[in-house]
Amino acid sequence: MDLDTFLLSFAVIACIYMACNIGANDVANAMGTSVGSKSLTFRQAILIAAVAEFVGAFFVGGEVSNTIRKGMLDPLMFEAVPYHLVYGMISALVAAALWLHIASYLGWPVSTTHSIVGGVVGFGVIAGGMDVINWGKVGMVVLSWVVSPVMGGFFAFLLFKFISKTVFSKRTPLIYAKNLLPYMVFFVFVILTNAMVYKGLKNLHLDLSFDRALIISLIVGALAFSVAKYLVRKIPYDPSWDLQEQFHKTENVFKYLQILTAFYVAFAHGSNDVANAVGPLAAVVAILKDGQVHMNVPMPTWILGLGGGFIVFGLMVWGAKVMATIGEKITELTPSRGFAATFGAATVVLICSKMGLPISTTHTLVGSVIGVGLARGLPTLNLDIIKMIAISWISTIPFTAVISMLCFKIFLIFLP
Amino acid sequence: MRSILSMFAKSPFKPLGSHMDKVRACVEQIKPLFDALENKDYDSVKKISELIVKLEHEADMIKDDIRTHMRQSMFLPVDKKDFMHLLSAQDDIADAVEDLAVLLRIKNLDTPDEIKPRLKELVDHVVDTAHMGCDLISELEALLEASFGGAEAEKVEKATQKLGTAEWEADRKQFELAQKLFALGNDLGAADLLLWNEVIKKLGAVADKTEQIGKTLRIFLSQ
Repeated sequence: MDLDTFLLSFAVIACIYMACNIGANDVANAMGTSVGSKSLTFRQAILIAAVAEFVGAFFVGGEVSNTIRKGMLDPLMFEAVPYHLVYGMISALVAAALWLHIASYLGWPVSTTHSIVGGVVGFGVIAGGMDVINWGKVGMVVLSWVVSPVMGGFFAFLLFKFISKTVFSKRTPLIYAKNLLPYMVFFVFVILTNAMVYKGLKNLHLDLSFDRALIISLIVGALAFSVAKYLVRKIPYDPSWDLQEQFHKTENVFKYLQILTAFYVAFAHGSNDVANAVGPLAAVVAILKDGQVHMNVPMPTWILGLGGGFIVFGLMVWGAKVMATIGEKITELTPSRGFAATFGAATVVLICSKMGLPISTTHTLVGSVIGVGLARGLPTLNLDIIKMIAISWISTIPFTAVISMLCFKIFLIFLP
Repeated sequence: MRSILSMFAKSPFKPLGSHMDKVRACVEQIKPLFDALENKDYDSVKKISELIVKLEHEADMIKDDIRTHMRQSMFLPVDKKDFMHLLSAQDDIADAVEDLAVLLRIKNLDTPDEIKPRLKELVDHVVDTAHMGCDLISELEALLEASFGGAEAEKVEKATQKLGTAEWEADRKQFELAQKLFALGNDLGAADLLLWNEVIKKLGAVADKTEQIGKTLRIFLSQ
């Protein structure tokens, strides 16, 4: 086996390992609230997650891939020694995947994005010194530690307060929920569609300007509104139901919204996080092809398919286990609360990723759940989780950076 | 395996409801207890009294369980102190009923004819009042769903006011019964007088403690 084939196989295996870990690690977080509130059965959740993750990864993931890697370090610094970038990218993948594996085992809510950032920074420092790293971008990661939970909390708090005031404080909450639902569906569809078509579908050559994306989203939203308006009429209402009974039926109405947002979170997760597995591999493939470092690395479709496919594989084999235990444990979450938290988080992730801020879906969701709690929406929250997040924040980048440095050093010893 | 979803801890409001179920079961034994006493069926008095002691113990177990699981890192939609206060109020009702059961077993107590109608009135009223308190706790689930606001909160607010009135009435009935009791003068032995006086006070205590539930719930609503 020649060196190139060896490196390519190594990179592919590292990418697969990383993709499996991404699927195993994060999917339970995205779908767990829907299973916990009984909006989805365990099987339905797995199915939706698999479809949404793959679609997100395969169709939208290509665009996100370039930004993360290119932003963190300047590939042109490796022009003289292109193979060092190959070693480095493999090291970063191995380090990040290893860390995700450990974190899944310990139950720490770490960010896949931050893991790969740490890996890239690690080998970058060894290979090119401090100057090769774009520290401004690394600063953005640190900034996101504060921004993601705070914004998630803020959005979810407002959304839940709104739902609470307009539906649950009424004498006939079910009627108000039925009236509100089509508008919520409109809102959700406009945001979802906009996320997909604006700067999203480059892979499908559908890169639309903001105006056109907005028009398309509004049309889709209007269609969804009409369908929801029609379907809502079929929900029965009996004036003799007491408040408790009505609350129960109202929650059933929110199930539809929650399923919709769960799909979206999985989609957003797939499109954002697949990059962490396939980005480095794409760079390796490009260098091995002609031995040169490129500013713009094309994303071959087979790599995206590989990344998306193994994220789904990871979620089905390992993520499913996590979700099965979690679904039974969360008994206190109702669909309206689940919707407020997930939709709040999804909106923040969307805004931040459009702004180029490497934000963690997991951390945002924690913030938005606390936001709903602060709005007196949840019977209890265990705030121990905040300690775990702080630990994972502080330890992720140093750990992956050091492992990546070590891997890179080993490469240099054996393959100068 | 842990994940961020472990932040959805087990709600302490559910065991609070289970605790109240035990308290309600205690309260439901008050009428049979006094009926048996009036009929001089002292075997039944003993049996019912033992049942009450057992139920109170079961309530205690739930209470201890809630207390040990209440951790510093737990975040509730109400002040944790107020929540514990509510639990204590519920537990005090069971305690008062238990005290009542124990008092009636000290000796085979006679029910004087003169106090019978007033006593029945007070017992019925106290039991009704205690049930109102239990019903308030059953509203907690809906109250959580409504985030302690809106129409549901108004409904609970009204119910707490009714409970306050019922407690006030219980005080009055307790006073009237005491008057009847002491009007008996020397017709009643000192021991019986002493015991009956204690019994009446304990009956009043059941209503008193129930009112505490209403007061605490009002604090929940005002936050």
